[in-house]
Amino acid sequence: MSHLDTEIKNLKTSVISMWLLVLSQLEKAQRAIKESDLDLAKEVKVNEKRVDAFELKLDMDCENLLALFNPVAVDLRFVLAVLKVNYNLERVGDYANTIAGCAENFSKNFDKKLLKEVKLSEMFALSHTMLSDALQAFENEEPKLVRSAFQLDDELDKLTKNAEEVICEWIKKHNDQTRDALYVISIIRKLERVGDQAKNIATEIIFHTEAKMLRHTKKKLILKELDANTGDNN
Amino acid sequence: MKSKKRFYEFLVFNIFRIISFLVVGLLFVILFFISIRGIGVINWEFLTSMPKEGMTQGGIFPAIVGTFCLMVGSMLFAFPIGVLSGIYTNEYLKESRFKSFLRSMTNNLAGIPSIVFGLFGMALFVNKLHFGDSLIAGSLTLGLLALPVIIRTTEEALKTVDMSLRTGSYALGATKLQTIRRVVFPIAFPNILTGLILSMGRVSGETAPILFTVAAYFLPKLPQSIFDQAMALPYHLYVLTTSGTNMEESRPMAYGTAFVLIMIVLIFNLLANWLRRYFGKKVKM
Amino acid sequence: MKDKSKEVEVEQKPTVIIETKTANLFYGSFHALKNIDFEAYQNTVTALIGPSGCGKSTFLRLFNRMNDLIDHVNISGKILLNNKNIYDKSIDVDELRKKVGMVFQKPNPFPKSIFENVAYGLRVNGISDSGYIEEKVKTSLQQAALWNEVKDNLKKSAYELSGGQQQRLCIARALAVEPEVLLMDEPASALDPISTSHIEELIFELKKQYTIIIVTHNMQQAGRVSDYTSFFYMGDLIEHGSTKQIFTSPKDVKTQNYITGRFG
Repeated sequence: MSHLDTEIKNLKTSVISMWLLVLSQLEKAQRAIKESDLDLAKEVKVNEKRVDAFELKLDMDCENLLALFNPVAVDLRFVLAVLKVNYNLERVGDYANTIAGCAENFSKNFDKKLLKEVKLSEMFALSHTMLSDALQAFENEEPKLVRSAFQLDDELDKLTKNAEEVICEWIKKHNDQTRDALYVISIIRKLERVGDQAKNIATEIIFHTEAKMLRHTKKKLILKELDANTGDNN
Repeated sequence: MKSKKRFYEFLVFNIFRIISFLVVGLLFVILFFISIRGIGVINWEFLTSMPKEGMTQGGIFPAIVGTFCLMVGSMLFAFPIGVLSGIYTNEYLKESRFKSFLRSMTNNLAGIPSIVFGLFGMALFVNKLHFGDSLIAGSLTLGLLALPVIIRTTEEALKTVDMSLRTGSYALGATKLQTIRRVVFPIAFPNILTGLILSMGRVSGETAPILFTVAAYFLPKLPQSIFDQAMALPYHLYVLTTSGTNMEESRPMAYGTAFVLIMIVLIFNLLANWLRRYFGKKVKM
Repeated sequence: MKDKSKEVEVEQKPTVIIETKTANLFYGSFHALKNIDFEAYQNTVTALIGPSGCGKSTFLRLFNRMNDLIDHVNISGKILLNNKNIYDKSIDVDELRKKVGMVFQKPNPFPKSIFENVAYGLRVNGISDSGYIEEKVKTSLQQAALWNEVKDNLKKSAYELSGGQQQRLCIARALAVEPEVLLMDEPASALDPISTSHIEELIFELKKQYTIIIVTHNMQQAGRVSDYTSFFYMGDLIEHGSTKQIFTSPKDVKTQNYITGRFG
């Protein structure tokens, strides 16, 4: 393995670690909300510092790789993609942190039934799947694996819309829990944003492997593009 | 304008061409002239028997042997000294006044007329060292004559060895002597050898230095030791054409001798060429 | 995380193998190297960069005393190898050159067989055990990543090899005498891109066992192969630091101008 290959591989391993860290932040935030586990929420907060440091480290690694090796073609696309994936992952980390923060803010008489009614677990599951599917795609350089990011995003949007309705109703009925309901809507918004970040990451993966820039392209076209390249066997 | 330029180009080029053809032509005329007259005399007996009847009959065997002895003798003396001196000046001496002085002296030595060498050889070897007229005195004198040429060829041959090979050798911890012995000299050797053989050819044709130091006018026997006199081809030729007992009768013998001499020189030159190519291939493979 | 990695670097302050203290060199009256303070660490690659005539090659040649071969050279200051001044009177230059191997700009194999080229350094150092020599030739060629290409033709002339192979042969030749330090004077500048990348990969491998100082005109090469970089300009060592630092945030504006190609 050549020197550059080694460096690229090291960078990739670091990105994957960052990815796993962010995913675990998201899981912990979910559990903190669901089980009102304030210790876990604190842990997420502490770990957020690690995510930030990780982002800086990856940035520096990319900078060094660009400065020292002047990568071209696939290697250049890889480093450029990593720069953006890194940024997007850090944002997801931020959202996880905010979500965990909400766990601390819920009032004591908050009725957890609302979380069920807005299908929060489903939303967590969806955004988690999108991110981990993208990770699979990144790790194995299999662009067709990012399909789910685009498909699941629709469901996530639908759930968000639905949740807004539910919460409106809920506030009308439970005046004492308006603040909590607002926290819930903010969690939902964050999860929706996580989905968007996953989508962005997915386009970067396609850029790396296929050399196609699909940012700002309509979802339908992207999916068509993916099918055309990989055969519709998903 | 253009055609004028072309014309000059054409003219000058052709002048050069004609002149160089003339030179080559002249060489062929000489060779042809000597061969035509000399080749008829050449036979086994001419090459292997003693001269007879006041050098109008018989052969030139002792002169051939004498010339060979002188060639080998002079080189035994001049080659080691010349090569070592060449190595010293090129490899050990730093650029300095002394070095350029040594160089110009070597060149001056090469420019001294050969008769002066003859005189010097007589004074030193024949008289002072009491060698008498002898092979050794003649060899040493001829060796002196060949020395500057051998020094110069050695220096030139060493100079053609790429400096990077020397530094490469030093960089591996080799000493200067090791570098010269294992890298520089083996590469330069073919060219040095060529110089040696060319100077042998030259030595074989010299008359003046042997005139007073070794050559016998007429000696129908082979030299028995290095302190004996000997006949030699160039001097024999000189005798045959200028001071023979019967010059008209010995004229064909003279052409024969000249032919043999030319052949010897030619063979040596060809040998030098062949050796250079052979070793050149071997060194670089 | 960033802070942590810095701490780690400080902790593993590597062993200094080569060091100069206020090293000066004059060619006659020309001041070619001016008060150079420099360090090279064990098992690292240090690149010397700078425009032509800045003194980097001269500086490299300090370490195996190759400048001794040039007339009218005057050297002052301390040049230390393992804390010993190599310009001390007690130092045997030939022994020093065994410890500090060198690879030159132009491949310069001897007009001998491949085998004899590698064995040369051993032979001139008085080794005659043919079993040992054979073994050493083999391992050196393996280290230089040339063994597989030449193992069936060790008797062939070195001149039959390609330029890149010849350069790797020269590296093998230098490795055979087991140096501690390997000096490389633009080792790839006379080679095509493929051979160049072979040599660069080789340098990356070799630093596991040797300390390497390399002069290069090629900025990318310095970036790819070296851990530390020193920038020379007009006989001065302008900046010395980790290659990452030099290439991403040089402190001196001259360094910046040079590595960005804005010199002049």
